[in-house]
Formats: sequence, C-alpha cells, structure tokens
Amino acid sequence: MSNVIQPRLTQVFRFVRSSYADGVAELVYAFDDGEELIERVRFPQAPVVPAARADAFNAALRLLHLIAGVSYYKAGVPPKIEVSGEPLDDSTADLLDALYLHGLAEFAYRNGLDLRGRIAFPRGGQAKPAVGKLGLPQRSLVPIGGGKDSLVAVEAIKSIDGEATAVWVGNSALIAACAARTGLPTLNIQRELAPGLFELNRLGAWNGHIPVTAVNSAILSLAAIIYGYDSIAFANERSASVATLEYEGQQVNHQWSKGYAFEQLLGDWLHSHVAADLDYCSLLRPYSELAVTRAFAKLTPYFDVFSSCNRNFKLLGPKPAGRWCGQCPKCHFVFLALAPFLPKPRLLSIFGRNLLDDETLAAGFDALLEYQDHKPFECVGEGAEARAALYALSQRPEWQEDALVARFRSEILPQIDIAELALEPWLAPAGSHRVPPRLRPALAAIDQ
Amino acid sequence: MKFGGTSVATLPRWQNIQELVASRRAEGARVLVVVSALSGMTDALKHMCAQGEQGKRIEAAKAITQRHYELLEHMQLALPDTLAARLSDLARLAEEGPAAIGELAWAAKVQAHGELLSSALGASFLSHSGLPTQWLDARDCLAAVALPNQNERTKLLSAMVDAKPDPALSARLAALGEVFITQGFIARESQGRTVLLGRGGSDTSASYFGALLKAQRVEIWTDVAGMFTANPRQVAGARLLQRLDYEEAQEIASTGAKVLHPRCLSPLREPRVPLLIKDTNRPELEGTVIGPEVREHAPSVKAISARKGITLVSMESVGMWQQVGFLADVFAQFKQHGLSVDLISSAETNVTVSLDPTENLLDSDAIAALASDLAKVCRVKVIAPCAAVTMVGRGMRSMLHTLSGVLAEFGQLRVHLISQSSNNLNLTFVVDENVVDELLPHLHDLLIAAGALRTDDSALFGPSWQALYGSGELPAPEAAWWRTEQRQQLLALGAQATPRYVYHLPTVRHQARELKSLAAVDRLHYAVKANTHPSILRALAEEGFGFECVSPGELKAVMAVVPASAPLLFTPNFAPREDYAWALTTRATVSLDSLYPMEHWGELFRGREIVLRIDLGRGLGHHEKVRTGGSGSKFGLPVESIDAFLRLADAHGVTVRGLHAHLGSGILDEGHWGEVYAQLASLAERIGSVAFIDIGGGLGVPSHPGEARLDIAALDRVLREVKAAYPHYQLWMEPGRYLVADAGVLLTRVTQQKGKGALRYLGIDTGMNSLIRPALYEAWHEIVNLTRLDEPATGLFQIVGPICESGDVLGTDRRLPEPQEGDVMLIAQAGAYGKVMSSEYNMRDAAEEIVID
Repeated sequence: MSNVIQPRLTQVFRFVRSSYADGVAELVYAFDDGEELIERVRFPQAPVVPAARADAFNAALRLLHLIAGVSYYKAGVPPKIEVSGEPLDDSTADLLDALYLHGLAEFAYRNGLDLRGRIAFPRGGQAKPAVGKLGLPQRSLVPIGGGKDSLVAVEAIKSIDGEATAVWVGNSALIAACAARTGLPTLNIQRELAPGLFELNRLGAWNGHIPVTAVNSAILSLAAIIYGYDSIAFANERSASVATLEYEGQQVNHQWSKGYAFEQLLGDWLHSHVAADLDYCSLLRPYSELAVTRAFAKLTPYFDVFSSCNRNFKLLGPKPAGRWCGQCPKCHFVFLALAPFLPKPRLLSIFGRNLLDDETLAAGFDALLEYQDHKPFECVGEGAEARAALYALSQRPEWQEDALVARFRSEILPQIDIAELALEPWLAPAGSHRVPPRLRPALAAIDQ
Repeated sequence: MKFGGTSVATLPRWQNIQELVASRRAEGARVLVVVSALSGMTDALKHMCAQGEQGKRIEAAKAITQRHYELLEHMQLALPDTLAARLSDLARLAEEGPAAIGELAWAAKVQAHGELLSSALGASFLSHSGLPTQWLDARDCLAAVALPNQNERTKLLSAMVDAKPDPALSARLAALGEVFITQGFIARESQGRTVLLGRGGSDTSASYFGALLKAQRVEIWTDVAGMFTANPRQVAGARLLQRLDYEEAQEIASTGAKVLHPRCLSPLREPRVPLLIKDTNRPELEGTVIGPEVREHAPSVKAISARKGITLVSMESVGMWQQVGFLADVFAQFKQHGLSVDLISSAETNVTVSLDPTENLLDSDAIAALASDLAKVCRVKVIAPCAAVTMVGRGMRSMLHTLSGVLAEFGQLRVHLISQSSNNLNLTFVVDENVVDELLPHLHDLLIAAGALRTDDSALFGPSWQALYGSGELPAPEAAWWRTEQRQQLLALGAQATPRYVYHLPTVRHQARELKSLAAVDRLHYAVKANTHPSILRALAEEGFGFECVSPGELKAVMAVVPASAPLLFTPNFAPREDYAWALTTRATVSLDSLYPMEHWGELFRGREIVLRIDLGRGLGHHEKVRTGGSGSKFGLPVESIDAFLRLADAHGVTVRGLHAHLGSGILDEGHWGEVYAQLASLAERIGSVAFIDIGGGLGVPSHPGEARLDIAALDRVLREVKAAYPHYQLWMEPGRYLVADAGVLLTRVTQQKGKGALRYLGIDTGMNSLIRPALYEAWHEIVNLTRLDEPATGLFQIVGPICESGDVLGTDRRLPEPQEGDVMLIAQAGAYGKVMSSEYNMRDAAEEIVID
C-alpha cells in the first residue's frame, strides 16, 4: 500500500466501478485516494447472457456492487459515500440507506458507533419506468446454508415437483454435503474478498457483523439473470424480523437482512429495476422457528449432514462434535427447538450430547429464553418460542429430570404465565409473505 | 471352512478358496466349505421381497440371475444343473409372491437363495478346478428347534439349531466324498419350511456343522487376521489376540468386535471344537484360535471395546424396589414398549438400565411413552448419548489392583453406570459418548502401562493392527541412540560419576528437522521450559527456531545464548505486573491469557501488539496435571470473555495480533491440532486484527515400546487442510518435549537390592530429586541396565531412588537382568522436564549435565 491508511480516519468511501467478463464480476471500491479494493465474484460455467436480458443484467450487477460494498464501507465508516456513474434514483438510494443503517446496526452497537445521519447514499437520478417481464424460465434458486431451514425449503419445493437448483456462495464442505444430499442440481458461486480488506483489518479497521444475506441475495439476483431463474427462494422465518435489542432508540436486529422489511425492499426493487418476473421471497416467512423445526424433524436423511452451528463451518468432521460445537446459541436453539418433535435418543445422536443436561450451559439457554439477558446476536428464534419449547419438554417425563429442564421447572416456570407457553400457536402460519403463486402450493408441505 | 460374501463374489477370490481348500486336503483333512451369498445378494433379495408388484419382483430376480451368470462366465463354466434348478426356483418364487405360503415363510425361502446359488456355483467351480466337490443342502443337516419365546417372525427369520455331534451324519458324508460345499445362514424347521439364522448366520452355520461333525476345527476366513485387543479403527496399536477361550471370545464379540457373531461360539463349547479366524488375503498370519480355557497364562485384560449410541434409563424410587413384583412391573414396561434392556445396575433407591440403539428407540415415541409410564411409579431420567466401555478378560476381579491408574482416568469423566457380571469376564463403564474416541486409545495405553494388558506375553498377544495392516509406512522404530553407537561412551560417563544427564544434540536436530517438514507451519518456537541447556538452545536457534519463554528468567537465559534475530515469545501465566513491564522492554511478543492485566494494567500495553491465549473449553493430555484447557485449568481466557477482552484492548489501543491455544501435552492424535487450529481461525475471523494463529505444542512422544509415534505426515495433511480454508493467517507452533525428550537420558548406578514379600526393590543413586515425572505425572520412562543390556531380563523389579518419600519410585514391575552394585542404569526420555524440574530435596547432589555432539 503506497501511503499507509488509518482506516478509522478515512473521509470518503468510493464505489469506483464494477465490471463483468467470462463469469467473473469485479467490484471495485476505495477509501479516500487509497489503493483500490477489488472483490471478485465467480459464476461457474456462466452462459452468455442473452441480449434481451442486458439491461436487467446491468441493473443487477450495479446493485451487487452497491450492496457488497457494505463489507468494505464498515472498515472505516467514513462520513461521505461517493458512487461513480449514473446518479442513483430515490428508491435505490432508499434501499441502500436502509440496508447500511439497519444491516450495520449490530456492528455499530458493538463498536459504540451511531450511524444515524452518517449513512447517506448520493441520489438525484430520475426514476425510470418500471421494467417489464423477461420470460425467465420457471425454476428457482434455493440458497443452501447447511442448516435446517434451507433443507425444509428444498423439500417443500421438491414436494410440488418444482424445478430448483441448490446454490451457495463460498467454500463449505458442510454446505456441499447438504446440497449433495438434496439430490438437486447444485451451483456453487465463489466470492473472493479484496485482499486489501485483510490489510485494513490489520491496520485497525472497524470490524463486526455485516448483513451477509443481503450480499448473497444480490449475488443470487445476478445469478438468476445470468443462468435464467424466475425466483430466488430463501428460507428466512418469521422470527428473523424480530429485533435482537433496542439501543438508544434504534432497533438492533442481528438478522435484519433476513427480515421481512429487507425482503420487501429488495423484492420490490427487483420487480421495478431488473425484471417484473423475477421474484425474491422467503418460503418460510409465515412460519416460526418451531414450525420449521417440526417440519425438519421429519427429514431424517439430513440428520447426519446438517448443522446450524456457528463454529467450524469451513471444515467438516464425521462426528457430531465436528458439526455441532454445543457452545454457541445456534447449537442451543436448534437443540431446544427440535427437542419437542424428535424422539430424545435420536436428537441426542444428532448432537452427540445432551445440551439440556449440562449445567454449565445455563447462561446460554437463559439468553435464548430472554431470562436475565437479551436474545443473543445470532440467527435464533424468539424468546417466547424458546420458552414454549422448554415448557413442552418440562411436561415430558423423558426430559424433565435433565439439569436445565429441572432448573426451568423449579426456577423459571413459577415466574411466567403458563397461558403464554403453549406450543401449538407457534405451529400455525401467520403474517404476510411474498411467495409467488407458482411456489405457494409448496407451503402445504411445511404446514403438514 | 467358512467364506463370507466378498470372498465368494469374484473369480480371483474363488481361486483363493480353491487353493486354501486344496492345502487342507493336502494335510489329509476332509473339508466342508460353508459360504455366504455373493456380496450384495442378501440385500438384493430383501429388496425383491419388499416389492409388492409381480413385475418388479420378476425384474429383481432377473438382475440376481444375471449377476450369477456373469460370474459363471468369468469362470468359463457352463450353467450347472444344480444352479439352474435354484435359479428357476427363484424365478417361480418371484412370480408366485408371498400369497401361497405366507409372507414370512416366502421371504425366508427367497432370501435363502443367496446361499443356495453361491454354493451351487462354488461346487461347480471347485469340481472343475480339480477338487471334486459335493453340493450339500444345509437344510438337510441343520434342523431348527422351536423355542418358547419365539414368534412367527423369529421362528422363520432368526432360527436356532441345537447342534450336537451326529456320528450318523459324519458317516453319511464320509461315504459321499472328501470335499463338500454348503450354505451358511439357512436351516429347516420341523414343518419342513426353510428358515434363516439371522445376523451372523453364516458363521453360526459353520459352527453348527463343526459341532454336528465334531470337526477337527472350524475356520472362519475373513478380511482380518482375527480378534484384536480393541477396534483397530479406534486404536491403531490394538494387538492381535492369538489365543482366547470361548467365554472370553464370546464376551469380546458381544461387546464390540465385529469379526465374529457372538452366537457362533456356544455350539462349539461342549464338543470342544476349536475355532480359528484367518485372513483370506494373508493366510500366513497366525490368526486367532478360540478354544477351551487357556490355563497356563497369567490373568490379563484381553480387550477393550466401546459401544456407542447407548441410552440409559435411570429410575429413582425410595424403598419400592424391594416390594414383591415391583421390578417385574417395571421391566414389563420395557417389554411393552418394545425396548430390550442390556446392562443393569441397582442400588437401594435407584435402578439404571441401558438400551441399545435400535430403530424403535431412535425413531418412534417408545422412549417418551416408556418414560410416561414409568413416571407413574418412580422418577425417571433418560441419559444419552452414552457409550459402554468394556474391559474383557477372564478373572477380571483379580486384576482390580492393577487398574488403579485406569480407574483414575474414569474419575475424570462422568461415569453413569458401572457393571461387572458375576461370570467375572468383564467390567463395563458407561460414560458420555463424546469422550469415547479419545478415551479408548488412551485407555489401551494405560492398560498396557499398568501391566493389566500383558502384551509382553507373546503367546497370547500377536502384532499390532498397525504393524499388520497400517498404511505400510510404519518403519521399524530406529534403535535409540543410546542403545547403539553411544552406548560405550555412556558406560564410560556412568563409570566416572552419577547421576548425570546426557544430551545428544544430533537427536535434537533430527527432531527439529522433522517438525520443519510441516509445510503449513510458518514459525516454530521451542518451548524452553522443557530444557534450557545452552547447547540445546543454540542448536535449535541454528535450526531457525524461535523461543517460547514463560518467565523473565527463561527470557534472560535464552537472550544470553541465541542470536538477536531469533524470535521470542513471552507466554506467562499468572505473572505479576512487573514481569510484563520488563518483558515489554525486550523484543519478545507478549501473550495475555486473562482479563485482569487489561482491566488493571491496561496502560502498560498501550499501542502494543499482543497475543491472546484462549481456552477453547476442553483439555487433553496424558495426565490430569498436564492438561491446560477446560475450566478446571488455570490457563487461557475463556471463549465467552473474548468480547470483553477486545473492548478493553480497543480502549487501550492494544492490537490482538495472534490467537493462541494449547490444550495439553503428550497428544498423539494429529486431528487434535486441526480442531484447535480451525476453532482459533474461526474465532480470529471475528477479530480482524489477527495475523497469526498459534496452536501451541503438546506433540506427544510415545514412551512404551510399540506405541505408535505421532504421524508427522498426517499432521501436515491435517494442518494444510485447515490452512487452505484460512490462508490469510500465519500458523505458529510451540513444541517442547517433542524436540528434546528422546535426546536426553539420565545415568545412574545400582546401589543395592531389597526383597519384601513378593516384591524386589532395586535401588539406584538418584530419584525424584533428579527426575520427578514418574512421581508427578505417573510418567513411564524406559529403564535399562546399560551394563547388562544384552543379558536376558529375568527378574521383576521396582526401581527406587534414595529420597525419603514413598513416592520415590522411578519404575514399577520392570523386567531386567539380575543387577549388581555399580551397574550403570539408564533412564530414557529424560531430555524434557528432567533437569529443569529437579530439586535439592533431601540435599542430595544435583545431576550434572553432559552434552554429546
């Protein structure tokens, strides 16, 4: 690096340019007049994009450039944002302002920053008339994460004989194994962060959580145009829309880009700027975590490959301990949420141990219950859901003597209203969703 | 002679069978060959049974027929009549379906065809290869008996035969010929229907025939040379068991060994027919002989095993167990829910039973329903997943005294149940399943070290699995340097004066170069606490090592001898503030492993780059006192405090440049470092400023003869795999003992002997004052009489020093030549944690240090 940059003292974050050739998108950013940061996204065996989709392609590529910038912007959080090329119209700038503000809310909270008033994408472009339909092939991209949710979505689509491809971004043996187990065709897109980002980190850049689902969504939007898909079907549940905590008047939601607000913003934007027939939705939106785990509990063939654990995602072990650390909130939550729906020995064989019979995990489960703590910064269900699941277990003889279940019964249960602990209300679908008509019948597989 | 499915599936394997049978014929024996179905056939037949449609059944039968035609074609044989008849039977069964004779009887008949076909094919092949062979229908010989607890399914699909010697059958066969072939797995019941013998049925058939004919022996030819002291997949050092009695073998087979089904031993016990397990691919190997009790050997643990997926049901009730019929009622619940109980342990207020992992247990509501019913009469707790760790050996109770070290190991774990049967053949511990993979190899070593698994008895124990089947890269361990060219020099040094530590620098360099071959590792640091001798420090500096120090004293000692370019690490634990203040004035990279220094002395570190030592929450190692991870250990910052640490670091302008974890010492499983590395790297990704990952040391050095060395090439593969996933972090390591342990020996002299009861004490002129590891960690050091290295080891000695402590024992039960006062004794592997841990206790002279280059 020519002149050593102090990332936290930078003044401008610049969206320099983006380009695409031979299946590789190059996204270029810079701070001040520093060296260019070049991210590459590789689309394997990308076909030539038909001329009819050229405008849609350019719009989707530009959106990817703007959204993926969040990984770099957060290194310095400078006061000014510059975007090269045609000025952004209001709806694009609104989408980005919202994404950067809410998607980085946890990052800001953890680093003691306040981003309100700081994030303002330059705007001034004329809104163009909404785009028409492209006649995209009737098939879906289904992102696979290695966890239970995407597998429930896959099986739902398979249940209506929908055509779909299991897609994931980056290297992960775990995801590859899960994707292979689905029996669907697969697509593995590679994302190479700019090496300069690691250098910035070493120089003391800000660091923290970024809205990675938004970045992946933008990558898949471009993929849908390149390969020809009419829908991107994520597997984000209802609880993803619930804030983790509120901090100085701002809602902080760890999974904001998995929430309904972002789904609506991006879905509408794609309809008006990319293709009227490109749908972006979450199949699991109407469901609680518990409804999803109930559906997953029937998918035995995935039990020995899936993992929702946060640790060790890049490497895979044959033993449960190689997929489930047993220590993180995701492990705790998935264990608890599956427990009411699986025979106990089967559940324990998935995890390799009984997390609810380990006193040292009391604090972790308390956080899930929102008992003496806030919900963890993780993609986990709502506190009330966790309480309902644990209450259900506390009523079952095969569980009630386990250390944390017994503790719940004696210590926590007397403080809560049993009327609020029923499991059944969580199992019914509720609330709005954007599942397009073609995929709607798949929801029946989740409702059972 | 019995051959399994893979042994009969191809032409080369049949040629192999032909040779083996011919060799037995050459010895004058008459041979009955028992075969399984071609591999995959039984499953194909079961699949055919599951087809509801006639068309699909016929199709399946055709595929099966085709498979046999193909093999026949390879053998260049015409279709023999026996096989043609069997194939048309099968086609007819496929066409008719189960309706006529009933589902189960039909299924049994269909599945019997796997063996009927393979044996018919084999008879033709053997006869055409010059061994006239009679095809024998096993159903004409094996008559299934009706048992009281059988239902229609077990009667037809897992039948039993009461096989007693039958001279009439022997005579009938003798009249027919010399070589016979028949089917495993099938028999006939009283109404004339074909029945199956269930799992392991072919081995059982061979045993039935062995008993019926009162054979000279039964040979089970398989893909492994016999039974081992442990599952070789879990314990590579498992030893071949060359001799077992029926009961021991049955116990081992029941508790884990897959090579033989436990059922197949009991028919042989009464007629005293020995059973021999042999490896088809390596017929020269001795194999395992199972026969009547072996009397002329000392009691020994024969094997350890672990069965996973066990569920325990613990039932607690006050005073009700004694009520007549109460337990019967409780067990009736298990029966009602279709769960079969294996182990049972009981006390006044608690009865705990174990359940094996059946489909019924895993995928139905059986356990929930059982718990609800039991909860009406007692408190129930369902504990899972557990594993039953069993030690098997005749006369287990008489060996308890040798097991104290082994039992101490269980003291570290959650033991849910202990069971010892009255037949005195086993001792079982039920523990958490997730500890078992690490526990088992460790336990195997402990049993050998404790003298409970007497691998020194070559009549009972054969070579290790690793030696027989390992990846082939197991070179015979090089003779230690002190055994060969340096022996005379050491004898001279020992004759001059003792006690003396002697260090062999070429060995240090050899070890250093071995570690330098780890391509994934960017920087190696020698953990100098193992041995701070200046010559060793200099030798390692020349090899390009950095140095890891834990105190200002060590740092000063290192800086006094190594060049200023050698990297230094300061990795103290609970060091006072002034140690850090001083270390920060040196060039050393400083490690922190708690919040306190950051909270209270944060300004000391302002603007600095530090390494954060993390406790990943579990410890490993060869002894409790060398485990450095887990909340029971004082080392490392717990994972949950990392965020707090980072906030403090940020507030003081401190940059976390490296993450470090070190979970223990003496670890021989290379996968361990991969796990630590991957876990640290995934934590590092959340921190950003991290540039390197330090996965510590703890590389094990095996001490017992025959114990497998750490596989450096495998370690390299594991590390490279993680590095490929996290290429942006440098990788550091901190080996200590691995570099120097083998390079050092302690020379001492025999002072006297004492007999006490059955024990013989051999006194030497130094003890725990020079080498405290045996007393502190129960470490095992090889001890030899260097003066009489070539004399036969005839006596059994307790080797003790002159220190006034009953713990001053350097080695127990060591077989050595008859010693004389003044003989030079050598204690091996004393290069690490020897001199550095020595003391002036009892004010005895310190051992001198000598360096050989």
